[in-house]
Amino acid sequence: MTDCALFSRTSPLLQCTVFALTSAWKLGDMPSMTNETASIPDLSDLEAQSLSVSGLALKRGDFILREDISFALNPGDALFLTGRNGSGKTTLLRTLAGFLPPAEGHIQLGKSSDPAELIAWLGHTDGLKPNETLRKSLRFWSGMAGQPGKVIMPVLKALDIGHLIDRPPARLSRGQQRRGAMARLAVMNRPFWLMDEPAGPLDRAGRDRLGKLVAWHRSRGGIVIAATHQDLDWAGAQRLELGGGL
Amino acid sequence: MSGLWRILAREAGLAWAGGGGAAGPTAFFLACITLGPLAIGAESETLVTVGPGIMGISALLAVLQFGERSFADDFFDGTLELYALSTVSLPVLAFAKVMGQAIATLWALPLIGALGSMMYGLGGSEILVVFCGLLSAIPALALVAGFASALSAGVRRGGLLISLIAIPMMIPVLVFAAGAGRAALDGDFDRAWATVLLTLAVSLGTSALMPFGIAAAMRSRLG
Repeated sequence: MTDCALFSRTSPLLQCTVFALTSAWKLGDMPSMTNETASIPDLSDLEAQSLSVSGLALKRGDFILREDISFALNPGDALFLTGRNGSGKTTLLRTLAGFLPPAEGHIQLGKSSDPAELIAWLGHTDGLKPNETLRKSLRFWSGMAGQPGKVIMPVLKALDIGHLIDRPPARLSRGQQRRGAMARLAVMNRPFWLMDEPAGPLDRAGRDRLGKLVAWHRSRGGIVIAATHQDLDWAGAQRLELGGGL
Repeated sequence: MSGLWRILAREAGLAWAGGGGAAGPTAFFLACITLGPLAIGAESETLVTVGPGIMGISALLAVLQFGERSFADDFFDGTLELYALSTVSLPVLAFAKVMGQAIATLWALPLIGALGSMMYGLGGSEILVVFCGLLSAIPALALVAGFASALSAGVRRGGLLISLIAIPMMIPVLVFAAGAGRAALDGDFDRAWATVLLTLAVSLGTSALMPFGIAAAMRSRLG
């Protein structure tokens, strides 16, 4: 029923056809999904980049939140940041992205002098404009990153929101908005994905899709860092425990 | 298409489609200039004298309204972070953003200003001076409002802060833009056009310097 409701503006015949198709497709969901992520075409190869953090201290306002954080990531690695609320997961992500200056220590992100251009960001808000359709917003961001627009549809299909491409986010659910924001990471084709609670509003199928997308990104040599409370099942992901809150 | 044009086009489109485009500032401007005669009185001589000044003040207040939405939305929906990580440098981005929004929302102000001057009984060439004065004032006014908007992004009741920050910085633009109209009323068109050029010069100077201020304000809001 929900599937039909999504297409309520189209003709009844088309509606039923689409319903039949999506139902049939759902039976074979898992295998076809892998193929879809594998078939995202036309993105230029990622340049292999690595990340090393040494002796990093995090500052929030005037007080030091965490000290002596060190880790290194190579192409294809994934890292979970875990810890209680207030332990500094978001602060670490924001420091890595360059929004906050490190209190101490050193971050070497890639080889480039301007690491900002290597980062694709998914914060706790989705970065979508309520009245800008996914098509327009993804076209803008892929264009800004110098990527062709034709990758948008395959990415949206891999996230199972291809049919929502012309909807403004104001008329999407929280989970669908999050999937739209994940699509932005993919179409920008940047090596570092920094994500803050990526699976927060996602259902189980959405978490599977997220896992597949992350696996696809890592298979191309990308690096993923995610702050999360949830048990996400990403093969071979490392874990950095930031401990209790202050 | 370069990043600057992409951002300009996107921001113009967002302001046009999402926020009602020019409707807000235009309605505000119209309200100001129609309320003027009701408060001042209907003597045509007085109205002609105050006409250019009322147009200047109304335009300034209308632009302040534009500043309230400008950067606050980006702060709350996470666009600010994405812009900070884009390939376009922040000052260029800030300039493109403010100009895109200004084109979509403030384009009607000089036209309404001309219409208002007609209502207040100004003559043809005086109306032209008022129109050109407002047109050349708008980039400066928009950038100052954008700067105040970026500084106050994420602050509750940011509107108050925007007025307090922006109004003092808008004074020179107001003095020149309204002064051009007054000079035209005195029949001194040389001085009138020179003042219009001065307004334009302030706008150009603001365009060159203010984007750096806006960029610094955006960076400080990221922390």
